[in-house]
Amino acid sequence: MINDIKTVTIVGGNGVLGKKIAGIFASFGGCKVYIVSRTIEKSESAIEAAALSVKAYSIKNHIFAKTYDDLEKCFQESDLVFESVTEDYVIKNEIHQLINKSIDHECIIATGTSGLSINELSKNYSDINKKKFLGMHFFNPPYNMTLCELIPSRYNESDYINDIKNYLERQLYRDVIIAKDEPGFVANRIGFFFLNEALIYAEKYKSNGGIDYIDSILGKYTGRNMPPIATSDYVGLDVHGAIVNNIYDNTEDDYKNSFILPEYVNELIANNKLGVKVGEGLYKKTDNGLFVYDIETNEYREPRPYRFSFKDQAIAEFKKANYIKGFDIIKNNKSLESRICLEFLLKYILYSLTIGKQNCTKISDCDIAMSCGFNWVPATSLIELFGGKEEIKNIAKSLHMEKAKGMELLDEIKQYELNYEKYIKASN
Amino acid sequence: MNEVYILGGYQTDFERNWSKEGKGIVALLKETVKGAFDSIDITREEIIKLNKKNKVALFIGNFAAEYYVSQGHLGPLMTEVDECFYGVPSARYEAACASGSVALDAAITKIKSDDYDLAIVIGWELMKTVDSKTGGDFLGRAAIYDIEAKGIDFPFPKLFGKLAEETIKKYHLDEERYKRNLAKISDINYKNGKRNKNAQTRKWFMNEEQANSRGIKTNDNVGSILSVSDCSQVTDGAACVVLCSKNYIVETSRNISKFPVVKGFGCRVAPFEFEKKIKESMDEKYILPWTRQAVLDAYNRAELTLDDIDFFETHDCFTSSEYMAISAFGITEPGKEYEAIESGIIDFDGTKPINPSGGLIGCGHPVGASGVRMFLDLYKQVTGQAGKYQIENAKNGMMLNIGGSATTNYCYIVGMK
Repeated sequence: MINDIKTVTIVGGNGVLGKKIAGIFASFGGCKVYIVSRTIEKSESAIEAAALSVKAYSIKNHIFAKTYDDLEKCFQESDLVFESVTEDYVIKNEIHQLINKSIDHECIIATGTSGLSINELSKNYSDINKKKFLGMHFFNPPYNMTLCELIPSRYNESDYINDIKNYLERQLYRDVIIAKDEPGFVANRIGFFFLNEALIYAEKYKSNGGIDYIDSILGKYTGRNMPPIATSDYVGLDVHGAIVNNIYDNTEDDYKNSFILPEYVNELIANNKLGVKVGEGLYKKTDNGLFVYDIETNEYREPRPYRFSFKDQAIAEFKKANYIKGFDIIKNNKSLESRICLEFLLKYILYSLTIGKQNCTKISDCDIAMSCGFNWVPATSLIELFGGKEEIKNIAKSLHMEKAKGMELLDEIKQYELNYEKYIKASN
Repeated sequence: MNEVYILGGYQTDFERNWSKEGKGIVALLKETVKGAFDSIDITREEIIKLNKKNKVALFIGNFAAEYYVSQGHLGPLMTEVDECFYGVPSARYEAACASGSVALDAAITKIKSDDYDLAIVIGWELMKTVDSKTGGDFLGRAAIYDIEAKGIDFPFPKLFGKLAEETIKKYHLDEERYKRNLAKISDINYKNGKRNKNAQTRKWFMNEEQANSRGIKTNDNVGSILSVSDCSQVTDGAACVVLCSKNYIVETSRNISKFPVVKGFGCRVAPFEFEKKIKESMDEKYILPWTRQAVLDAYNRAELTLDDIDFFETHDCFTSSEYMAISAFGITEPGKEYEAIESGIIDFDGTKPINPSGGLIGCGHPVGASGVRMFLDLYKQVTGQAGKYQIENAKNGMMLNIGGSATTNYCYIVGMK
């Protein structure tokens, strides 16, 4: 049955991610898809967005707009029900209880949460339906970000999970990892660790410039499409805040404090300065250009044209595809900025390994998570770029981090991810 | 004459946008050379040693670097890529989209004539430096610019749209059926591209329904009856193959039975202007007899027939050019190409698969690289190194690489001895 998913219902299919997931099932999956929203208009506009998200208007022939009045009928016809409503236990519980009542046939029941506990949500289900329910976490936009985290509850059988994994890989062309039901799962846990640390460091170095200073140190050349604080601004500070708060509240480990949302970000959220989606947040785009929030003055100002010689030299090497040489420059420079950069990259490596070990079936899954979910250079590639495990140990020593959590996992890494080139940008 | 062996090679990931990565020619070529050297186990020291004996040379295929990246003199540019190329003979070869093939031809000739033992052939193009309209105008130089391209938006889709029209006319085809055939060609290429980890479209969606939905938003008309789904897309990338003499294999103690050889080639040039092609072929069986002749020349030189060829890599810059290639290869009679498409002969698991790599539509079309990329894919298939797009028991493969509106036509046959 799993390899023959014909009909899919997306509940909350008008959400940012829900409609794009509808597009993935209708296109690659070749499925008939019901998009269910509060109003028929919302569902109809989601169909348009779903088709555009996979650049294929023809799939509109297979997507149907529905409302909550049609839920039961849609559920009964479906081989897969995907819940994609607001990240709130109360709202999600209500939907899952409805699903539970309507489903007494073979049907995959998935929740598209990025943070809530799958075991907790599974409490909405009867013993039989509990076995069908799991977490299926897509990344935005799914047409470009191919990661899908599958999160089993304690009630799923492993054959069931593996069959779904195969379906997602073969039919929907997803890069699938199986993640434990832990806060943030894998990619968000690692990604938002890095993003939130960047926000914390912006405050710590606010007299050096803060936000644009840190973004300049951790720019695209460190293995990403966008500097970290700009990324949080793009994601939305409310979303960022919800994710890190959830991880902070529900974890107890050496890295817990990395998930404390800085006060200035809380203030921006309180003032509805949520980022790109509302026009202002950590940055602000106006007709007069781009401005950045200055943590010291609480005002927006023009970004400063920071120039760090180590960064210029590294980028010059990356332009010639001399990747290792460029990382040698970062590694050997003694400026404050190069040390901050190095510390971030080392923490990213160690935290990726830690989460890979803790939340995945194998450590190297953390690489799939970060490359396919965030488009960031994977941790094991960074190890190679820095010259291998021994060099990482030397770097850790120079930063007094040799006892940091994750160092003990270096020797467990067996194979490097070799294609790192595309992640290392030769630009700011 | 010497036989020409293929040691191996390398293709960049055609999904990459080098401009977005902030990188240019030197990075592209450096990664390509490194990839090739690593895969065939050759060191730069070996190049220096061979060059002391004047036994190594570089052959660069590229169409329009002067326009896309403001760089000419591309042979010597290789010295910027690696100092091991100081003093190594190196020149650029150009024949529009067949630039890679003409570079290969020169390299093959120099190995045959015993001038060199090792020939490094690199085809490349960086096309994402400009918007698609500007790029379309650059590509117009592969046609008669003043007549067929100047002031015309996207001249090539229009020229291959004309080929589609003329094909229907010449063979009295049912237009709707022909369009469905083209959609199937597009679908096959996209599907095949999904198996190829270097294919530009490996994450893209396409199916027959979408390809048949011509003229809708997301599948706009581009020229005559062709739509976006009928076109290969703008691509950045490079491909490298390393050819060598028997002498080199013996001297380096390699196992000669592991390396395929170039079995045959064909090269024919057609009248440049598309209208003249059609006029000239009016009374001919084949709509593009020069393309057919290049195929026949390759079969003849290799002393092989269609029966000996296990798979093809063709120049599907547009679906209408692949349609024409089916009869040019001899898979069907001209005018009966639909038989091969509808019966599944050219499918991945068909008896005469075309473009297991995904071709230009699925894998991508960095213009100057495509000939070398096809040739590399022949090598990969016949040595069993094509990974997920490996054709079972592939012993011989043929490629067709065309430049302009099938103006330059190049064929190669590669296989194990």
